[in-house]
Amino acid sequence: MLRTLALGLLMLPLVMMNVANAHGPTRQKVTETVEINAAPDKVWAVIADFHDFSWHPAVEKTEGDGGNKEGAKRTVFIKGGGQLLEELLSYDAAGRNFKYAIIETDMKVLPVNNYSSAIMVEDAGDGKSKVTWRGAFYRGYMNNDPPADQDDAAAVKAAKGVYRGGLDALKKKVEGAG
Amino acid sequence: MFWIKHLIPGWRSSNVCESRTQSKGCLVFRADILVPGMEPYGRVGALLLVTRVCPMRSTASAIAAVLLSLASTILPSPCVAGAAPAEALVTSQLAEKVSFVDLETLQVTGEVSVPGKPAGIALAPDRARAYVTAPEAKELVVIDVDARKVVRRLHVGNGPLGIAVHPLDGRIFVADWYDHRIAVIDAGTLAITSYVKVGESPSGVAVTPDGRFVLSADRDSHQVSVIDAATLVVVKTVPVGKRPFGLTIDASGRRAYTANVKSDDVSIIDLAAGTILATVPVGKRPYAVALAGGRAFVTDQYSQTVSVIDLATNAVIRTLKVGAYPEGIAADRTGRFVYVACWEDNTLERIDVDSLEVTARVTVPDGPRAFGDFLR
Repeated sequence: MLRTLALGLLMLPLVMMNVANAHGPTRQKVTETVEINAAPDKVWAVIADFHDFSWHPAVEKTEGDGGNKEGAKRTVFIKGGGQLLEELLSYDAAGRNFKYAIIETDMKVLPVNNYSSAIMVEDAGDGKSKVTWRGAFYRGYMNNDPPADQDDAAAVKAAKGVYRGGLDALKKKVEGAG
Repeated sequence: MFWIKHLIPGWRSSNVCESRTQSKGCLVFRADILVPGMEPYGRVGALLLVTRVCPMRSTASAIAAVLLSLASTILPSPCVAGAAPAEALVTSQLAEKVSFVDLETLQVTGEVSVPGKPAGIALAPDRARAYVTAPEAKELVVIDVDARKVVRRLHVGNGPLGIAVHPLDGRIFVADWYDHRIAVIDAGTLAITSYVKVGESPSGVAVTPDGRFVLSADRDSHQVSVIDAATLVVVKTVPVGKRPFGLTIDASGRRAYTANVKSDDVSIIDLAAGTILATVPVGKRPYAVALAGGRAFVTDQYSQTVSVIDLATNAVIRTLKVGAYPEGIAADRTGRFVYVACWEDNTLERIDVDSLEVTARVTVPDGPRAFGDFLR
């Protein structure tokens, strides 16, 4: 009896935590690409530092530590308010790609859950590059019948906006720099 | 399926594997009958029934013989040697399709439309039907595998996801993510006959090969529930790593394996004792486990790898690079290959169990999950 009670008390915070973490909706995926008229190494040089996200027009600044090593963390401050805490999952300089996940999001900025993302620069031939940015995530609202601002469409739209805005700015920045 | 059903009333098709071959003008009917309780021993625990019918001879002769299992180990069993085409049935969640992949040629040979974001899959004991969960439609979808048609859809609660089939009586067990219970469905009537309350957000489900226990990985309770398949009572719960998702039981029914999404490890459970034998660290966000050749193959979603665990030492001996977001994984019936569905790259990839290399891949419809028993 006592043991059951003790176990029950121990489990209580877990149960409460679980409500926020349970997910049953469908994981979404988004892929956006851009072709840039510059060599892949040149493009990679702009995005290669996990702690330099200044190439993205929506980003105010980042703070973090851990360099470009797996497990490195950065807090991304969004222009106009809101911040995201992100963790580097893998980093491959030779392959010109890295993967990261969002640990804490801001529903107003990016209404997603269990978000992971990868960005990679490939050689497109003729001195050109192809940059692919893709993400996998669940919508913001993790139960059935989500409100419109936290449903699948809202999550996909927000992620597409982030990738499109970033890739187009990256192209402009690299090509504009000659 | 033919004559055997009429000969032995009460035998379920799942207990019997039949074949018909021609030899010297005679038709040879053969049935391998699994003896209840002896299933874990496979053909050693089977009775063999052989009938020869020779219509070309002046007097039709029929010889029926009941032999002990020894004979069935001498004669290769069609149950083992490809009675049905070896194929993968891949649930593609975003494309809302189940695709059929021939495992010889590794080509997609067909697909069936399944609205409702299909995810979980299990096959009937005779492999003639596939049961697919469609979480968004809140449905169980029944597919006639040979006809490649949806034959039934039924509502099964708010969040159907993981699914398993009883190896003997064919009952279907559907884990309900939101209602925190397992729905039990009769294979004949397709009616829900009962619910078993388990921990929070059950995901993977599996049945022991002897049919005695049903296990569910209760993701948000960090435990495995062990249910008596006859009484449908939870007889024990075993604490495992954080957020267990996929659940696999070995052929002997002695051990179960959970892939723990949050603690990045695999729990190996001693089922008789109800204890953890080992906790093996793997890649990031492990999803599911397949067993072949004395090894466990674990999909690591975030690491984009398959971790290979040597089950003699319970240590990772190799980490294989596969397509992005690997999820459903299973060993084929020969045990030579393991197949893995890569959700983000839209591939089904073949791993050679001996060489531990990815030897082939095929593109499948968008968002393959193949969560469950998806190899026919």
